[in-house]
Amino acid sequence: MTIASSLAIVALAALIHASFQLSVSVLTLLSGHVIGAKKSQAKVLRMTTSFVFGAGVMTLLLLSFTSLVLLHLFGSHAPLAVWAIGCGLLFGVGVAVWLFYYRREKGTSIWIPRPIAEYLHERIKATQRSAEAFSLGMTSVLGELIFIIAPIIISALVLIQLPALWQLAGIALYAVISLLSLVIIWVLIGSGHKLSRIQEWRESNKYFLQYAAGGGLLILGFFVYVYEILGSTIGGL
Amino acid sequence: MSLAIDIIKHGGRRASESFSQEKLHASILAACLSVRTPVGQAEAIARAVSTSVISWLENKPEVTSQDVRRIASKHLRTHHPDAAYIYEQHRITI
Repeated sequence: MTIASSLAIVALAALIHASFQLSVSVLTLLSGHVIGAKKSQAKVLRMTTSFVFGAGVMTLLLLSFTSLVLLHLFGSHAPLAVWAIGCGLLFGVGVAVWLFYYRREKGTSIWIPRPIAEYLHERIKATQRSAEAFSLGMTSVLGELIFIIAPIIISALVLIQLPALWQLAGIALYAVISLLSLVIIWVLIGSGHKLSRIQEWRESNKYFLQYAAGGGLLILGFFVYVYEILGSTIGGL
Repeated sequence: MSLAIDIIKHGGRRASESFSQEKLHASILAACLSVRTPVGQAEAIARAVSTSVISWLENKPEVTSQDVRRIASKHLRTHHPDAAYIYEQHRITI
């Protein structure tokens, strides 16, 4: 796989990651609480910035850790069976996202265990300091691990094949792109947009985001399957 | 101010508690402020909605927290639709 195609796969996986909405929901609620508690706009910005940084750091850590584990287990070239498992995970999560991602009710509730959602609610209410917002950002990424694990594993499989410098570039690229949706919400809140408008947009476009994320996972799975598995087996014959 | 009305919490998983006007007022105020309503206007809306909810609660021994939220949201919508939307969305965002 060339460096360009590797980075393209990482970029697509990160874009799919960005379309998952738990962190965005938590950021929306957090900023609502901070604004509603009569805090200054500077405080709102500090809290939301810390949250976005927390989400970014956890994404970096997750991808780095997954890459490290795979590198130790398989070296820089994972066996085809591992690629097949990665593709299977992409197909499975893609179909699951299509079927279950949003709960069939009003609002933007997503299919995560309710105790996790309630825990996040409680933490949002309790968050007063930037450090807490930072850890909330980290927690929100972990909360949607069930969905982001597939793009992270595929990105890690792709990254371990690259030279060390390009691995770092790939990890940074993944983190930056996966934060795009959060950064957009952060900019909107920072520039004084109403939360109601943001939430209305999210609610009215939630099925588009759901099908885009699910479709993206299936397309990525199909591409990686053809490129890595079929390419290797046909090329090896 | 606390009326002698029991509020049954969401899903019945938590113990019921007495109605608190301060809590209702604070939640409506927060919803108004979160959509960038000026503080004075937000306070006035929160007072008006709280009064409407209290008059609805009269002669009711117990209600669910969802009922209170639904009635508060209905009254809030007449004053500030954006705030009412955020108020309704609070429990269904995550």
